[in-house]
Amino acid sequence: MSYNPVTKDVVEALRSIVGKEYVNDKVPMRYAYVSKGIMGLESIPAEVIVRPRHVEEIRKILVLANENRIPVTPVAGGLSGGFASPLISPSGILLDCSRMDRIIEVDTDSRYMVVEPGVRSGTVWAYFRKHYPDWAPPVPDGAPPAATVLGDALERGFSMVTGRYGPQADMILGLEVVVPTGDIIYTGSWALPGAKPFYKWGPGPDLGGLFLGAQGTMGVVTKAAVKIVPHPHYKTVVAYGMDNPYDMQEATLEVSKREIGIADHCVMVQGGNWPLVMTRWPKDRVPTDYEFYKKLGISEWWMNFEIWAHSQEELDFVVKRIDEIMKDYEAKTGHKLPQWKLHPKQIASRLKKPNKIAIPYSLWEAGFLFITWYTPWKDCAEFAEIYNEKLVEYGFPPVMWIASIDHCRQAICMPIVCFDSTDPRSIERVQELNRETTEIFLDKGWVEYRPDPYVHAPLMYSKAKTYHEYLKKIRALWDPNYIMHPGRLGIP
Amino acid sequence: MERLESLKKEIYRCIHCGACRFAYSGEPDKEGIGEHEGKLYEGIMINCPAGDLHGWEGFYNSGKMWMARAVLEGELEPDEDIVDILFACTTCGNCEVQCENKIPTVDVIEALRAAVVEKGVPLGAKTVRLSRTVKEKNNPYDEPHEERTSWFKGEKNLDVKTAYFVGCTASYRIKNVAEATERLFRKLGEPLAILPEEVCCGSPLIRTGQMEEATRVMKQNLETFKKFDTVVFSCAGCYRTIRVDYPKLTGEELPFKPMHTLEYVADLMKKGKLKIEKEFPKKVTWHDPCHLTRHVADDIERRRLNESKNWFMDTRAIEKEKEEWYELPRYVLSQIPGVDFREMYRIKENTWCCGAGGGVKTQYKDLAMHAVFERIKEAEATGAEALITSCPFCWLNFRDGIRESGSKLELYELIELLDQLVD
Repeated sequence: MSYNPVTKDVVEALRSIVGKEYVNDKVPMRYAYVSKGIMGLESIPAEVIVRPRHVEEIRKILVLANENRIPVTPVAGGLSGGFASPLISPSGILLDCSRMDRIIEVDTDSRYMVVEPGVRSGTVWAYFRKHYPDWAPPVPDGAPPAATVLGDALERGFSMVTGRYGPQADMILGLEVVVPTGDIIYTGSWALPGAKPFYKWGPGPDLGGLFLGAQGTMGVVTKAAVKIVPHPHYKTVVAYGMDNPYDMQEATLEVSKREIGIADHCVMVQGGNWPLVMTRWPKDRVPTDYEFYKKLGISEWWMNFEIWAHSQEELDFVVKRIDEIMKDYEAKTGHKLPQWKLHPKQIASRLKKPNKIAIPYSLWEAGFLFITWYTPWKDCAEFAEIYNEKLVEYGFPPVMWIASIDHCRQAICMPIVCFDSTDPRSIERVQELNRETTEIFLDKGWVEYRPDPYVHAPLMYSKAKTYHEYLKKIRALWDPNYIMHPGRLGIP
Repeated sequence: MERLESLKKEIYRCIHCGACRFAYSGEPDKEGIGEHEGKLYEGIMINCPAGDLHGWEGFYNSGKMWMARAVLEGELEPDEDIVDILFACTTCGNCEVQCENKIPTVDVIEALRAAVVEKGVPLGAKTVRLSRTVKEKNNPYDEPHEERTSWFKGEKNLDVKTAYFVGCTASYRIKNVAEATERLFRKLGEPLAILPEEVCCGSPLIRTGQMEEATRVMKQNLETFKKFDTVVFSCAGCYRTIRVDYPKLTGEELPFKPMHTLEYVADLMKKGKLKIEKEFPKKVTWHDPCHLTRHVADDIERRRLNESKNWFMDTRAIEKEKEEWYELPRYVLSQIPGVDFREMYRIKENTWCCGAGGGVKTQYKDLAMHAVFERIKEAEATGAEALITSCPFCWLNFRDGIRESGSKLELYELIELLDQLVD
């Protein structure tokens, strides 16, 4: 596809749409929006940044961009690493939706909230705490408070209740999407004028899935109806240690299969290995020998079960049953699964949402990436074993975080690649590691969480050619010039 | 560029997570003081004055880290367009304490400003005037140097071990603070040496990247005060500059012990040598000046971490030491009979900046006023009658903010209040 650069006339037209104070094409400001980290290493600045407030403004911007064949990249919080920024040149318009930050509706009977893209986790959490203390918005677990609910949902990420309710995309009941033709598409029951967003599948086949995981390539989501969940106030975290990932996988599955009455209370089930602790500090300012961590009671691998219940009795029952299942596993296998006696402060810390737990991995050197994959739960130990071997082979610490999705139906496996972003050789090693592991994992049938445009997407679609072709055809229906975040997913 | 280059590894730690824009970024469930005039003082709150006012990413710290990175990579050539983004920041340091990757954001912003100055990019006229007046008159207020100590009628250059670094604001604009400090110490039996050779500490120049003149005044002050054991300060900005910046810039420890007057007074109180008998029967709230509290606590942390071989184990002790520092003014206030103390929500390391620092009050009045109005509202939300702080620059901005907003808050400088309460 060929695109045109943003001209002075286009900048003026954008100003007439949103007001001159909400358009910025100054070079330093354009660089302020760049990011290379967390999810990707490639990012180039936009040509102009626009901060709309209303859906109609977005509609006009997309029509203008479509007429002029100018790329448009929408961001909500803009925190998803390099890939929240434009990737191809000319990079076009960056649509910073952070001004669209209204919590429009909360319905505690149909149990959803309607939010705009700029609603941040920290804000919505405080809002619910104040106004709806018995309900929880499914904010991302581990993502910082500046992350947005919508960004997480559109990425098909995970929330603090993922273990119980599935990936964040499953929490979406309806979307309002503006597309380059100027149309506004509603999904789910919302597609029927006047209907509440109570039913995610809509009148007939539903279009909603096309906008989830699309990373801004299919349109601009301007509103979402997101499920809210009960927020009972009896909570705790129990943790068990293991000396290998296979025991972690199998024992956790034993708990999670018991969905009703046990695993349904385990809203977040997540674990990992001891380097997760070590790499939160600079590598020359912390012991790197496992013996140090072992003395502190940290197992080589562990799994946390965060449990929510309506009463102490209910909470105690779930804790007891998990312990019994773990002991049964020990008896059956002869493998040790010691319970990690958490200090009340450790429990309180783990119950905090949203939190900053996933942030400090840049301290190890100077930069980190989450290169995250979905696998069947029964494959997560193998994933961890392969990835950790490869991390060491490429000179990185073997840092692995794994969480259950929907009662261990799937696993979200997140290696944390701690590297030195000031060193080009270190970056090259990350890229080589990524390519090699992607080839291995696609052969195993595992799915990349957030495919990058240079390795994951091309390799993935080379194996799913028909699917890829239809994605492109469908997209062309409402984005005939492919202006939405072009290059991002190779569609095209 | 050398300073910026030296911070490269730290700058490249930024992952654009955005935590730096909040207060209590890791404490979503924090109890607060409820809602006041439509604002909820609970949980996580926006805490970056510039970002809050302008909204664009470049005004938040995270945007600045990525601008700095682009400059280091040669992709972004500093020009006039960067000035009003980069310099419209109070360098309050909220971003620094919120950063889990421990990026020294204030150092980075100041180094980037210095790089802009080095490139010869024209700054705002009022910012430039700071440097010119310091060069010509040793103060940023364009006042004659000879009148620096005119507020003091006693004997200067006393042969004592403790000197008073008065600072430009107390010397020329809020002389009552200078007078109160000198008088208070005399009453406490510790007469202070007042030195006419004192010059601007260089704070407004260091904050705005104008390092040539900053280096000159730093050298002069070090020479002037080197013969003393202790130097006391009533100005938070001067104290921060001399305690934190001078050792960084010279690479050497100070030849004297720097003490803010509050430290000194608190020490006496803890030793039972100072007991306040007079009552101050008011509902009171306290504003933490960034330079006195957050910046110094952050410096305590950085120094300790630099010494530490095991951050994992040492962090808790460092947090305790910082907390003791933050408690200092609260302890002093607790020793005043009659005080009904009400905390604001954003306090200590999460304090909301008054809006005056970083060269902002000089060049960006809209931002300074935006910040101070926000803080006044928060102070009012506590139900306090009196707002107390201990920084002449904060005091000035609060005075202007209270006048412009029509607030009923009474404003006090803590040293001045102590002077009134001590016989």
